[in-house]
Amino acid sequence: MIITNNLTKKYSEHIALDKLKLVVEEGEIYCLLGANGAGKTTTINLLLGFLKPTSGRAMINGLNVGDNPKATKQFLAYIPENLMLYPSLTAVENLDYFSGIAGKKLTTKELRQFLEEAGLQSNAFTKRISTFSKGMRQKVGIAIALAKDAKVLLLDEPTSGLDPKASNEFGQLLQKLRSRGVATLMATHDLFRAKEVATHIGIMKNGVLMKELVAKDISLSVLEQAYLDTMNYKESVL
Amino acid sequence: MILKTFIKETKELFREGRVRISLIIVLLLLGVAVWISARQYHTVNEQYITAKTTERSVWDDQGEKNPHSAAHYGTYAFKPKYPLALVDQGVDKYVGTSIFLEAHNRNDAQFSAAADQTGLARFGDLTPDFILLFIIPLLIILLGYNSLTKEHEMGTFSLLKSQGISFLKMILGKWTALFLPILLITLALFLIAGMVLSRVEDFGVFQWDALLTMCLIYIFYYAVFTNLVLIVSALVRKSGVSLVISLSVWIIACLVTPKMATNVANNQHPYPTAQEFATNIAKDKEKGLDGHNPWSEESKKLEQNVLAEHGVDSLHQLPFNFDGYRMQKGEEHAAEVYFKHYKLLKSQYEKQSNVYQSLAVLSPYLPTRFISMAVAHTDYGAHWDFSDAAENYRITTQKYLNEHFAENSDYGEWGWQADADFWKELPAFEYEPRTLKSTLKTHKGNLGIIGGWLLFSFGALLLTSKRF
Repeated sequence: MIITNNLTKKYSEHIALDKLKLVVEEGEIYCLLGANGAGKTTTINLLLGFLKPTSGRAMINGLNVGDNPKATKQFLAYIPENLMLYPSLTAVENLDYFSGIAGKKLTTKELRQFLEEAGLQSNAFTKRISTFSKGMRQKVGIAIALAKDAKVLLLDEPTSGLDPKASNEFGQLLQKLRSRGVATLMATHDLFRAKEVATHIGIMKNGVLMKELVAKDISLSVLEQAYLDTMNYKESVL
Repeated sequence: MILKTFIKETKELFREGRVRISLIIVLLLLGVAVWISARQYHTVNEQYITAKTTERSVWDDQGEKNPHSAAHYGTYAFKPKYPLALVDQGVDKYVGTSIFLEAHNRNDAQFSAAADQTGLARFGDLTPDFILLFIIPLLIILLGYNSLTKEHEMGTFSLLKSQGISFLKMILGKWTALFLPILLITLALFLIAGMVLSRVEDFGVFQWDALLTMCLIYIFYYAVFTNLVLIVSALVRKSGVSLVISLSVWIIACLVTPKMATNVANNQHPYPTAQEFATNIAKDKEKGLDGHNPWSEESKKLEQNVLAEHGVDSLHQLPFNFDGYRMQKGEEHAAEVYFKHYKLLKSQYEKQSNVYQSLAVLSPYLPTRFISMAVAHTDYGAHWDFSDAAENYRITTQKYLNEHFAENSDYGEWGWQADADFWKELPAFEYEPRTLKSTLKTHKGNLGIIGGWLLFSFGALLLTSKRF
């Protein structure tokens, strides 16, 4: 479960995130939409503990990230826009290492099972990551989350640059994780994919969460209009 | 996590062509250097054995002769080549291999290997110590400069952080992966050197404990370099910057500081020139007894004292040949003069050594170099020790010859000759170098400095893990 309570991040006079209040329950996928600089990545970095909040709290599974940086990390998995793995190692070796540093001791058979579950073709398991496409690397990222048995998944523009098929496969993987009770927060520009996978959608602008929507209650065109209205609203205020 | 990181890093290292090529080049260089040194070592040692045997037989077979003529005829003390000189040749090449031992004069070592070489020798030799001291630290830099920067550049850093990695353990894993290949190369080299040297006959006494000590010193040296390279890699974000800084550290530690230390030491505590040194000795010798000059004031004083001591009026009434006695007293005076001036020279050497030691805080190279040479018996300290042993032998020989002349001939009997067999009774020059314990005791300052470097660099490395 993810909770942010008045989460704020300031860089001297610039407010990158302003009193964000957000709840992502188990089995929910929350998509944060917004233009560049809206505060999506800042939110994720605050939840990861990479940044310290100016005020407010970020909570993962009931623990304050600022007070328990190590403990909260055992619950979460993170997939950035460009998931970079070790290019000279194979998929199995990468998964072994990243799950190993998270404290998981897995056999080769288990590692292969997680990769298979993440949708990676078996002939790619022992190939070096340097030969992988972005979509394949994202699948390894999902396998890392599966192997870690993460309760929280933080995704920063994970489908950016993926072809539609790969993006669709990625969406299906998120649904699979959702069915296991994983709370997912995904920052994205991709309205279509957000509508497809999300249970909840938030639209951000200039560090402020402007609007929250329940995905099943709206159509893609309504979402698009809400997004554009939010962008235009802010511009007219300014 | 340390083991996981170690395995991961090792796989990455060995799958990179750069690393494989670097390792092959270093191993090849090391092989060639050992082969060249072994050949030189064999040649020099054969020459040493031949020269020593020939010179002794020349001395033994000089026939009937006046002992003082034999003293002027002289003999040689040959500096033995020690097994570990195969690994570290030190200053052996420059200090001479033999000392001519004659009456009245203490001579410096001559016939240095460097004097026999052409100007091309200025480019230096490919020796194991060159590889150990200069090339392996470079290899550490090549293998490790991007050890941490690559995590930033590849973008894996954020994923590592999100997995809750312990940076201390990650750094220790990377340290192990970087250090282990170097450790294996070093151990293999010293093991092979030990196996070769322990089987070779007539090559001096080989000591495994000395080899192990030398090996340990180099392992400490490489651990320091490993720490420094990882510290740099942790402090910067770009591999290119890390490489340049690490190479600068290498240049300062291995090239600049040693040369700077030489300049500082020479400026602060200069040696007298050879001419000054010889002139000062000659002046002091003139102030005392000259065994060859019976008319000098000092000789006359000695004459009167000896006559009074024995209660006789004439030198002919003495129970020994006063000429031989006077020669011996002259030798004793000369020996004192030489002792005084060489003591001054050694004092300058010690002051220079202290300067080197104080500058060793700038470079782990300096203490490593000095300990390595000392353990191999190829440093200036070992040379001084040999030179002093040769001088003691010269003094003993002169006493032996003068006393034989004094006791077996009459005053003024310069034509008296000793038996042809007499020369064989003179014990041959035997030199035992300083023990390992005594060498390490002498270099406890350098041992402390390399230990300090190790602790300081490890501490700094562990501190850098806190900044992530």
